[in-house]
Amino acid sequence: MTDITRRRLLGGIAATSLWSGLGFPLVRADETLKVGVIHMGAISNTGWEYYQAEAWRALQAKYPNKVEVTVLENVTDIQSVERQFRQLAIQGHKLLFGTTFSQYASLKKLAPQLPQAHFECCAGIEAGKNLGVFEARHYEGTYLTGIAAGRMSKSNVLGWVGAFPVPQVIYSLNAFLLGARSVNPDVELKVVWVNAWVDPAKERDAVSALVSQGADVISGSPNTPVQSEAARAEGVWSIGSTGDFSEYVGETQLASFELDWSPAHIEATQAVMEGNWEPTGRWRGLGEGGFIRMSTRSPALPASVAEELDAAQAAIVAGDLKPFAGPIKDQSGELKVAEGEELSDSEINSMTWLVEGVQGRVPS
Amino acid sequence: MPFRFEARPAPSRKVFWLSPLFAVALSSLVAMAIFALSGLAPVASLILFVTDPVSSLYGVGELLIKAAPLVLIAVGLAIGFRANVWNIGGEGQIIMGVIFSGALALHFGDSGSWLVLPGMVLLGILGGCLWAAIPALLRIHFRANEILTSLMLNYVAHFGLIFLVHGPWRDPAGFNFPQSKPLGEAALFPILIEGTRANISILFAPLAVVLAWLLLKRSFLGFQLQARGVSQNAAQYAGFRADRAILVGMLCGGAAAGLAGVAEIGGPLGQIYPTVTPGYGYAAIIVAFLGRLHPVGILFAGLLMALLYLSGDTAQMSLGLPPAIAGVIQATLLFFLLSTEVLVNYRIRRARELSAARAMA
Amino acid sequence: MSETLAIVLAAVVAGTPLLYAALGELITERAGILNLGVEGMMVIGAIAGFAAVYYSGNLWLGVLAAGASGGLLALAFGVLAISLRVNHVAAGLALTIFGISLGSYVGKPLVGQSLSLSEVQLSGGLTSLPLIGPLFREVHPLIWLSWLVFAGIWFFLARSRAGLVLRSVGESTASADALGYPVMRIQYLATVFGGVMAGVAGVFISVVYTSIWTEGIVAGRGWIAVALVIFATWRPGRCLVGAYLFGGMTMAELLGQVIGLGVPTELLSATPYLATVIVLVLISRKDSTMRLSVPASLGKSLDIKG
Repeated sequence: MTDITRRRLLGGIAATSLWSGLGFPLVRADETLKVGVIHMGAISNTGWEYYQAEAWRALQAKYPNKVEVTVLENVTDIQSVERQFRQLAIQGHKLLFGTTFSQYASLKKLAPQLPQAHFECCAGIEAGKNLGVFEARHYEGTYLTGIAAGRMSKSNVLGWVGAFPVPQVIYSLNAFLLGARSVNPDVELKVVWVNAWVDPAKERDAVSALVSQGADVISGSPNTPVQSEAARAEGVWSIGSTGDFSEYVGETQLASFELDWSPAHIEATQAVMEGNWEPTGRWRGLGEGGFIRMSTRSPALPASVAEELDAAQAAIVAGDLKPFAGPIKDQSGELKVAEGEELSDSEINSMTWLVEGVQGRVPS
Repeated sequence: MPFRFEARPAPSRKVFWLSPLFAVALSSLVAMAIFALSGLAPVASLILFVTDPVSSLYGVGELLIKAAPLVLIAVGLAIGFRANVWNIGGEGQIIMGVIFSGALALHFGDSGSWLVLPGMVLLGILGGCLWAAIPALLRIHFRANEILTSLMLNYVAHFGLIFLVHGPWRDPAGFNFPQSKPLGEAALFPILIEGTRANISILFAPLAVVLAWLLLKRSFLGFQLQARGVSQNAAQYAGFRADRAILVGMLCGGAAAGLAGVAEIGGPLGQIYPTVTPGYGYAAIIVAFLGRLHPVGILFAGLLMALLYLSGDTAQMSLGLPPAIAGVIQATLLFFLLSTEVLVNYRIRRARELSAARAMA
Repeated sequence: MSETLAIVLAAVVAGTPLLYAALGELITERAGILNLGVEGMMVIGAIAGFAAVYYSGNLWLGVLAAGASGGLLALAFGVLAISLRVNHVAAGLALTIFGISLGSYVGKPLVGQSLSLSEVQLSGGLTSLPLIGPLFREVHPLIWLSWLVFAGIWFFLARSRAGLVLRSVGESTASADALGYPVMRIQYLATVFGGVMAGVAGVFISVVYTSIWTEGIVAGRGWIAVALVIFATWRPGRCLVGAYLFGGMTMAELLGQVIGLGVPTELLSATPYLATVIVLVLISRKDSTMRLSVPASLGKSLDIKG
């Protein structure tokens, strides 16, 4: 790594700003594009980091000779996130991907300072200067899996292992119950918060706690098979929410959906290569170019339920079925969404209330 | 065992100064072995490992902001260690510094007043001192071992911070994530070195080194503390009050840790997270020992430890190794240093020689 | 199975790693050695055991690997602390950092892997035994083993001559030495035993409790075990009760949420540590309780200049 004197740095920044500001691509056509990705955790074969990795692997597959990806894992310290992204940018990486919300604050600070690269942050909140964001409409997936859960539950109690009481999780579990109630109005949902994205021991205990209180379908935000396996050990169903664990638990996993970030990676890369990258916010669910795809269903699911799921999925993709269309009441019975209306994107994204039928609180 | 330890008449100064170098050399060998086992060129990788992180101005700035809290806390802890007061509660004291100063920062950070930063510094020191005073007082009045009490209090402080960040201090615009709102300008330390993240709080570290040196080498209190470390009985006989030593010993560590907490939130973090101290409280203990409990030694040890942390990060980028390698090498360094420590005060003698000497006596 | 029994069993499962680690550390401390490296030894045991089970499918190989690696690490600590007279605090922390980092480094390829063991494999083949098989279905063999170990330790300390010798070393190394006991060898044995137990505690977490390997899977339980030994005033029986109490805390916290108790979870989580401080204060206050409780040379081992 060469020593960058201040004058050269400023000169470089001015030049690249002018260059990219005029619409010229940061990468010449014959050059390979260096892309950098930083993972907070370690990449395994399931879970959040796995799907992030699948996205850059898709990039490598699509542009084998034109794109070079540098990947860093296990960058857990928030303090070092800024340093590592900056290092990547200075080392010639023109497109940088953040993979988690906890990197968002650092990227927001960093992106405007480094115009020689473009930044994208998965699970970031809103696009900013030199920073695009993208997130998945998890609720579309959880709504559909909720239908399966509502049909198959015998105790009419569902369980949710809550990672953090953030809107992404809250709207997911709300949609789960709404989907279940669309076919079974008597079903309820109990939620416990483990306050961690990954804590296998606590997740296991959470499943035990939920099952002891009557839940016979377990869902959550699993990053490892531990929740599904715990559910199987307790003799109840599980849902693969943002992960497919059927290879571990067989038919006890009723339904699942997976994440697919490759459209975001590929579109951003394409834009950088063509010189027309703009910071955008992408929030997509099911369908073509979306970030969610429904996955394995249990063979134990009756054909009628499978058909229901297919129909509902098609309706969501077509825009006819909206998971958060009214009437929807919250836990206190107050009408949050009137008949004929639906929640806007920003209302969904800032959701901190639980729908009627959810037992548990949002810790405040 | 064919070897025995024989006490030296006086500590060997030669070993005292050589053993850290020896430890560094041995650890470098271990590092090179790990590189070789991973299929990398040993010497070239080692050079890259240690020079890459600081090959730019920004890198030097990063080294300084990483080393500063380690040196600061270690200096404070070392004063206590020298007096046989074992403060393991650095983590908790950092957190209390964060909590006390954070309260001020969150309420007045946007006020634009220049009083905020000094206020944070004072409150942070106060917070750390109060938290360190608890084990000190429990030791003084109830003879409860301060290692265990200060350790337990780390957890209590940790959960206290989690409670605050999940609840009353949660950022209303933060989408319910457990973190505070970003601190206002008045609560952030100004940058010292343009083009880096090094802010003026890094100056606390050399300041602490100087203060500690003055205390230990030039003040009567310092003499009392060290005497206690050498022999508690003798110190008591000389009239050096044990209570005072315990309190001072613990408070030095607490004050330093609290201040380091302020520097973290007013510096690179700029916000209050539950993970505000990535193990600095424990790492500082290591730094204190690596630096032989001497303020100047700690300065160098802190820089070395910080470098190793940064090297772990770049090891991923330039060598393709997991960042955990940093911890492995740090522990190895400590292991070798501690092992060679014994040679300062003891000589190795063949057992036969020893028994022959005994037989002759 | 009834609801209450299920909850009790969950607390027992959660408490078992704490029990193993605390019993091991108890023996170590009874010999006068303070080993703060329990967390590091548990992590090493967890990954060594996990890897062994992952590649062999055999639970007992995993337990062996875990115990051996924990014991090895403890031996290294012993060399530092016993033979080289290094400050125990420094050596223990070095051990912790080393264990955690090495575990993370070595375990990298296995992160997120699940063991996918059959019930028979998970129980080490014991559930397929003719008459007593079903016993092991609900209560894992390693839990039965922990009770055996507990009983053995209790007997060892309270009724056996060897236990008396250990305790005398812990009370006064000088006197024990004068009586002709091989003090260093006893301390080494006690330390290594502590390491083996910590290793088994670790493999229980990674293989039985969760069957997954991730970073941070031990999550500070080693430190809780250290606290537990003090909380139990160095007595095995209290260790057992305390382990299940501490283990049950998480379960209590989660259940409290489901049932709708309004207690902030952080308060619940902090309680074991506060309780330990209180217990320590209570027993240290009076000379008599202190002498009966804290191994006297435990304090002395710290009077070495760093």
